[in-house]
Amino acid sequence: MRALIEGLLTVLKHLFMRPVTLEYPEKKRFQSDAFRGKPRVNIGNSSNCCIGCGICKKVCPSNAITFEKDENGRVISYTFDLKKCIFCGNCMYYCPHSAIKLTEKFELASLEKEELKLQYRGGCDD
Amino acid sequence: MTTATTLKLNLGPQHPSTHGVLRLILELDGEKILSCEPDIGYLHRGMEKMAEGLTYIQYLPTVDRIDYLAGCFYSELLCRSVEKAMNVELSERVKTIRVILLELNRIASHLLWIGAFLMDLGAISPFFYAMREREMILRYFEKLTGQRMMYNYFVFGGVRSDIDYLEEIEEIIKILPSKIKDYEKIITDNPIFLRRTKGKGVLEQEVAFNNSITGVNLRASGINYDLRCSDYLYRDFDFSPVVLEGKDSWTRYKARILELKESLKIIGQGLEKLKSNEKFEQNLINPLTVKLPEGEYYNEIEAPRGLASIYIKSTGGDKPYRLKWRTGSYYSVNMLRHLLVGEYLNDAIAIAGSLDIILPEVDK
Repeated sequence: MRALIEGLLTVLKHLFMRPVTLEYPEKKRFQSDAFRGKPRVNIGNSSNCCIGCGICKKVCPSNAITFEKDENGRVISYTFDLKKCIFCGNCMYYCPHSAIKLTEKFELASLEKEELKLQYRGGCDD
Repeated sequence: MTTATTLKLNLGPQHPSTHGVLRLILELDGEKILSCEPDIGYLHRGMEKMAEGLTYIQYLPTVDRIDYLAGCFYSELLCRSVEKAMNVELSERVKTIRVILLELNRIASHLLWIGAFLMDLGAISPFFYAMREREMILRYFEKLTGQRMMYNYFVFGGVRSDIDYLEEIEEIIKILPSKIKDYEKIITDNPIFLRRTKGKGVLEQEVAFNNSITGVNLRASGINYDLRCSDYLYRDFDFSPVVLEGKDSWTRYKARILELKESLKIIGQGLEKLKSNEKFEQNLINPLTVKLPEGEYYNEIEAPRGLASIYIKSTGGDKPYRLKWRTGSYYSVNMLRHLLVGEYLNDAIAIAGSLDIILPEVDK
């Protein structure tokens, strides 16, 4: 009986603590900079842009990456297939030019299948 | 065999208390269980076959998904196999970082178990308390590794980055002991809890031993078998494995509570070691050139749900020829065949819950 009362008192103590839950989507929870969400790639001519070496393709576990090159060997389009991507971040970790970043965006649900194919072309930075 | 007086009952696969999708085919006489046949495989994802088609670095992020509550342990096993096969030594700091993260992961896993187990018994509040404390650990993991459960943080020859936000770990090991004390106040001597767990699901030493039960379930039956004692990562840590004699569900609960405290102790020692060893160096292996020499490799570790091990047969290529995982839950599920016989139906979930079964780990 004593244990029961002691337990109930402890529960009562917790009852008056500050709630830890948040009312999503009005309030968003803390998110770290390291979070691995929607992938993004830089395409262009500067030093942190994709050079089309293909390492990302080789380390990707789910074959989510495809890219096209023009006749000069420059990358003209780069596609992440979010239906396949498992957000492991291998492409980001092993990119020699740090061209790929997995951003903190995580609300990626979509009604259109085509929207889940993230295609990046030169100059695009979203 | 079903007769006119017995009833065959399907418990699951879509049952909230089976922690995944487990189907138990029970034969009942009234409310008494005459036999139990676990049916597994609903969560089979082909983790072993998948390995044969992927290079080692491609396979590494996927192994976290074998046991989503303690992913670090499986990454550690794959990394360890590659490191040992390629004769790569880890630096002291990296070893300490790995131990700290493994133990944090173990605490997170045990906390979830406490919540889920009590939920199976009908107590809701401890679930929220356990999830609240687990959140601190998951938040730390998110800050450090980028995700809450699928870390992909251990790499061949080291870790992704040096450990950071140490003050958060310090806070966790400061806060958790008082919270564990609270759980004990609510749960341990609660008469309802005692009645549902004391003397229920008794796992005899011989049965446990013959059925390859490992981990907390074995230690709660009085057999001192903790792989951490002989693990090279834990060599410089001072801790004692939790061995209890009770053999029943209640003892398994108590052993996990004590193990939480033991893990906190190890993390505390790890933090001290980090302070004395500030040089962060790694012997990273180029992921594109990982090739295991021809041969067979076996490594094991003490995961939260028992002994976890990996067997790789390599023919010298960049992909394994055959890869096999051994997970603790698989054997625990099999144990239900013995433990449930002679018990009542309303105790079935309580006993199954006390074994800490995670179905993705069973089905792989």
